[in-house]
Order: sequence, then structure tokens, then C-alpha cells
Amino acid sequence: MESLSDTKWDVLISGTGLQNSLLALALSRSGKKILHVDENVYYGGAEAAFSLQEVDEWLEKIQGDISSKPFRNASLWKAEASDGTAGLSFSRAYTLTLSPQIIYSRSKLLSNLVSSKVYRQLEFQAVGNWWIYDGETEASLRRLPNGREDISQDKSIDNRAKRSLMKFLKFVVNYENLTETWEPHADSGLAGFLSRKFQLSPSLQSVISALTLSFEPSDQIPVKWALPRIARHLTSIGVFGPGFGAVVPKWGGAAEISQVACRAGAVGGGVYVLGTGIKTSETVTEDGEQLSKVELSNGENVKTRRIVGKNTGHDLANLKSVSKIIAVVSSPLTSLFQSSIEGSPLAAVSVLVFPSKSLPEGTAQPNPVYIMVHSSETGECPSNQCVLYATTLKSDNSKAVLEAALSALLKSTEDDEGKLLYSLYYEQEQQASYASLDLAFNDEILQAVEDQWKTIMADDNGTLEGSFMQFEDREGMNNDDDDGDEGF
Amino acid sequence: MAEATAPKPSSSVKLVLLGEAAVGKSSLVLRFVNNDFQENKEPTIGAAFLTQKCNLPTRTIKFEIWDTAGQERFASLAPMYYRNAQSALVVYDLTKPTSLIKAKHWVAELQRQASPGIVIALVGNKLDLTNEPSNSSNALGEDGDGEAADGEDADGDARKVSTAEAKSYAEDEGLLFFETSAKLGTNVTEVFTAIANAIPETSLKGARGPGAASGTAGRTEEQSRVNLTGPRDNASKEGCAC
Repeated sequence: MESLSDTKWDVLISGTGLQNSLLALALSRSGKKILHVDENVYYGGAEAAFSLQEVDEWLEKIQGDISSKPFRNASLWKAEASDGTAGLSFSRAYTLTLSPQIIYSRSKLLSNLVSSKVYRQLEFQAVGNWWIYDGETEASLRRLPNGREDISQDKSIDNRAKRSLMKFLKFVVNYENLTETWEPHADSGLAGFLSRKFQLSPSLQSVISALTLSFEPSDQIPVKWALPRIARHLTSIGVFGPGFGAVVPKWGGAAEISQVACRAGAVGGGVYVLGTGIKTSETVTEDGEQLSKVELSNGENVKTRRIVGKNTGHDLANLKSVSKIIAVVSSPLTSLFQSSIEGSPLAAVSVLVFPSKSLPEGTAQPNPVYIMVHSSETGECPSNQCVLYATTLKSDNSKAVLEAALSALLKSTEDDEGKLLYSLYYEQEQQASYASLDLAFNDEILQAVEDQWKTIMADDNGTLEGSFMQFEDREGMNNDDDDGDEGF
Repeated sequence: MAEATAPKPSSSVKLVLLGEAAVGKSSLVLRFVNNDFQENKEPTIGAAFLTQKCNLPTRTIKFEIWDTAGQERFASLAPMYYRNAQSALVVYDLTKPTSLIKAKHWVAELQRQASPGIVIALVGNKLDLTNEPSNSSNALGEDGDGEAADGEDADGDARKVSTAEAKSYAEDEGLLFFETSAKLGTNVTEVFTAIANAIPETSLKGARGPGAASGTAGRTEEQSRVNLTGPRDNASKEGCAC
């Protein structure tokens, strides 16, 4: 086995979160010598996915470190094993992800995964129905209309409201060209804008706000931030098939993309070492070149031209934090996944939105709650169970709010036998930017990767060669079904 | 058995490759997929994901072969690498006893981490070095560090692991066992055919992995899969079992 110190690395990358993993892939396939380390013994950093046993180990680490970042205040509850009822299955039957992000069909991430050919090692599934919780109506979960055809058939919306809604939808998909309508209100709250400009009822305001996946209540979402997100939602529907506009990678969401990117980075010649971090580094000059001499935590010394650390260091003021619960439920919650759209794939994820103040009395709920329901199709739990990922902005009572939302969800589905088997609570602080907390993959992260890639690639000669994440098939690959048909 | 006119059922099977560096993992796959062998192949593994079909009398198995891309060197193979694999090829170099120890380690790891019911084949590679006296000066390309020729006996037989020893271990652990030469092509297709035959019919239908309990055969993974590269005519592809 060659030793790490024999090579002069172009870039040493620490941390295998999604952003760093994509960077390592891009650089290694562009011919850079990459050493990619992670102090954890698993891939994915803040986007990791765990078996139950790995959750226990992670929990122990978080609880033993009060200054732990970005995760804090984690606690775990498990149902007592009761006789006769099916409880939790074995540890590896679960893959619980710290980052249950959905990826919109139009995200550049997907086109990059295709152009870099790494999508072949991933499997994507559809995010089907979106539901909104309304504590005041009898059917407390309402399915959001899936496109315009759906709205015209929705009997719960009267005709006048339908016309207003259609008018807004027509505007929002073209908002970039209709600046006179919204620019004067760019910093106003979304709810007021929808009410004044489009006469939308409070109930429809909630529906529209839900599509932004904002952590703030609808009267505090700035219009200029909301419109692109609503447009993204609407224009994404149907891109990869009827009835859905977003996808999720099977087997653990972003963790899976990190791992695939690292594997593909290794194919490109990158070297991976887990359980190893950067201990110290100093600048040295060798043959007229400035290098960093780095001591790794495994005792090895390496030399590298650049270091991409996972701690960007700056302690920003007003860092946002969210509270999250990962829950396992003893029911497939089938009713949430049923599709009314012909030809749509079997959905693996449903999104539930609890607008602010929608939970039953007794729970002060300042902010919306989002629950991503993952069926066993995702490979994250055994069949006849579901994994629920609940998120809300951290507040004094956010844990109680999340618990109330989970219990309201279980009460309002038809599958009333669903019981909570497992509940992992934790808080997550934003990292470099707000994008790290976003419930839908934020293309800012990919932009950051591309910027880093450009800087490093332009290092040597100032001119940039090759295009970002565009790779040809490597020799010996024959992925196309038609090429590999010879058999024997 | 199968009616000649009806297209045979076709199933994808994920196969992972494991073993010490330079035992010839990639070369075995290259021989199987392209019927090709490269002398002095670079140790960094070229392809990470290849496919090849294997026609059995009653069905077609499409192997999705996952190469380690060298990630095993620093014990940094991702969990996704083993997950869902229905089969594994654990390779050692029969001229290098330490590589069999490493292979046993991988077998234990698979039994601990991979899906229950995974079909594991233990393969002793570089059989050509046991009976090729004329080849003694030719450091075999699969072996990046050039150790292959070391300690070669005067009669040209560099074998250091006896067939009996490896075979009895394989029997104890319930593994398929073969000795191969990726260079000459000896036994290579036989390994893959044996694996294809050993995959239980039940693990081919329906979803794979722990989420797929028995009895859900009607709902296959294909129903939830989203294709990112546009609609494809699956029917015509599946029917082409040539």
C-alpha cells in the first residue's frame, strides 16, 4: 500500500458532506490529485444516514460534546416492546437520514449528476402528494392541487377563488417578466401580497406559502424570496413524469449522493480515508512553491497545495437553527401516497405542511412545521412502517410543537393503527449559509462547488479548461444496455 | 424448460467485488465483460460500474458489477457499496497467502453487513502463475507492485495457497469456490454463471433490501423508480435477450 505522504496532493479536502463530496468528484475527474479525509468513520457529514445502531453511536457523541456543531440537544425515545404488536425491526432495516431533502426536477444538481454520469449508481423516487393540515376543517389533511388541471376539479375551492388562484399561478410562473406587479412589494410579507394583489383567501395563502417550504410564517416570508420558490415548484411538475415535481434518492437522500460522489471521486483517482481529520497545518516552501504541510489525526504527514476544510470558520451572527424529529411509525400510512394522476410513478415521499398556528389549541405554534413522510419504498424502513422527518424553526417549545404535529398527523390519517415506535429529536444549526438547512436541495450549494472548482482549476495557468461536471464515460465502461448484450 | 419463443424473464443483480489490492479484481471483470486482459494494468481501478448479461436456460441475469475503485485501501468503502448486493466476488491471489487472509476478512464483513442471503463466491486468481514456466520473467500486470514473480519456485509454480485449503474454508462458510486466471480466461465465465445460478428466484422479484419483506412481489422497485434521462422504451430492451 502506498503511503499518503509520498504524494504531493493538489487538494486536501476535509469532511465528506454533500458539498465537499461533489467538489472532490469534480476536481478528481478534472485531473487533480485529491486526498479526501473525514474525521467521522462514515460518509456524509451533516447529511449522513444511519442504521439504528449508528444513531446510538452518533447520539452518544453529540451528547458528550456540548459545543458540538451543527447538531445539538439530541435525545432518543423508543416505544417499549409490547407483546403481540410489531415493534422496531433490526438495526440495519433502517436508514435514517439527517438530511431528508427533496430535490426539485429542475435543480441543476440533477443535470450535473447526469452529465457526470454518476446518476447511474443512484436510484431516484418521486415526491408525490403534498398535504396541508387544517385543524379547523373536518378532513384535517387536504391534498394540495397538483397543477392547474387538478385545481379546476377541486371541489373544495369555489369558482371565484379558483379564478383568483389561476390568475396568481399564471403570474407566478412568469414573475421574472412581470416585475411591475411584485417589485414594489419585494420585501413585504407573502400573505399580505397574495391578499391585496390577488384576493386570495387566508386558506389559499397558506397553500401557496406551503410551496415555499419556508421556516417563517406566511406573513413574514419576503415576496422576492417566495416567488422564485413557488415558480420552481410549479414548473418542476411533470418534468420527469406526470404527477410529481421533485425526487429523493433512494436509501438515504443526500447521504447517498455524497457516497456516490466519493466513490466516483475514487474512480477518478481520489484517495479516501475515513476516521481521519486534519490535526495541524503549516505553510512550507518547497522548490519555490508554497505548500501546506499537514499532520493528520492518524499520525501521517502530507503535503498539499490547497486545503478545503469543512469548517469555514466564521462565526456568523444570527445563525438559524431548526428543531427536527426523525420518527418511525408502525403503519405504511398508505392513504398519504395514493395518486390520482394517471401514469405517475409510485410515490415514495409525501410532504405534509402544518402552517403556523394550525395545530389544535393548547400548542403555541409560531412557525410552520414540515413533515416529510418516507414510505418503505425508500429503503429506509421495513414494509408496513414509515419514517417521518419533522422540521420547524427552533423556538422555546419547538420540541413540543413537533410532537404535537406528529400526533396530529397520526390522528388525521385513515390508517389509525399507526403508532410511534421511535423518535429522535435534535437541533441543527446552519453551516456556512442558510442553504444547509433548506428542506429542498438549494442550488446555491452547487454554485459554491462550481466556484471552488473554478478557483482551483484556474490556479495554475489562469485559464480554465474543461467544463464543470461534464465527464465522458471511462474506458471499459459499457453502461448502455444495448452495448452489453453479447452475453456468453 | 423455457419455451423458446417467449422472452425469458430478465433480472438485474448487483455484484460487488472485494479483495486485497492487486489480486486481479478488475481484471476478472474486464475478462468477463469485454473478454479482454490488460498487462500492467494500473492499480487505480478504471471503471466503477459495468454491466454484463448472463443467459441461463430459464432466465437472463444482468449483472451490475460494482468495482471498489480502490477505496478498500484505506478501509473507506462506503456502506452503499455492499447494501443491496445480491452477490459478491471475493478475490485472492493464490500466489499470496496474505491475500487469502484479507479475503476471509471481507467474507466476515459481508456476513455481518450485507443483505442476508447474499451469494458469495471465493475466487483464487492468477492460476496461470502455477503452470506457466515460460512466464517467469513476466511480472503479471494485475500486480501493480510487481511482487507476483517473487519467490517463484524453480519449476515456475508460484502457488502459495493450496486448492484444498481454500476449498475447505469455502465449504465451511457456504461459499462458491473457483480458481481462475483472468489472463487466460480460465474459469471466469464459470464463476459468473455459477453465481447467476445460485441467486434464489425469490430474491429477484420485488424490491431488494431490508424494506422488501416477502409477499410484496407484486410491487417491484421499477414502479417507484424515476428515470432522469427521459422516458425509455423498456419493453423493447427487455425483450432483447440475445
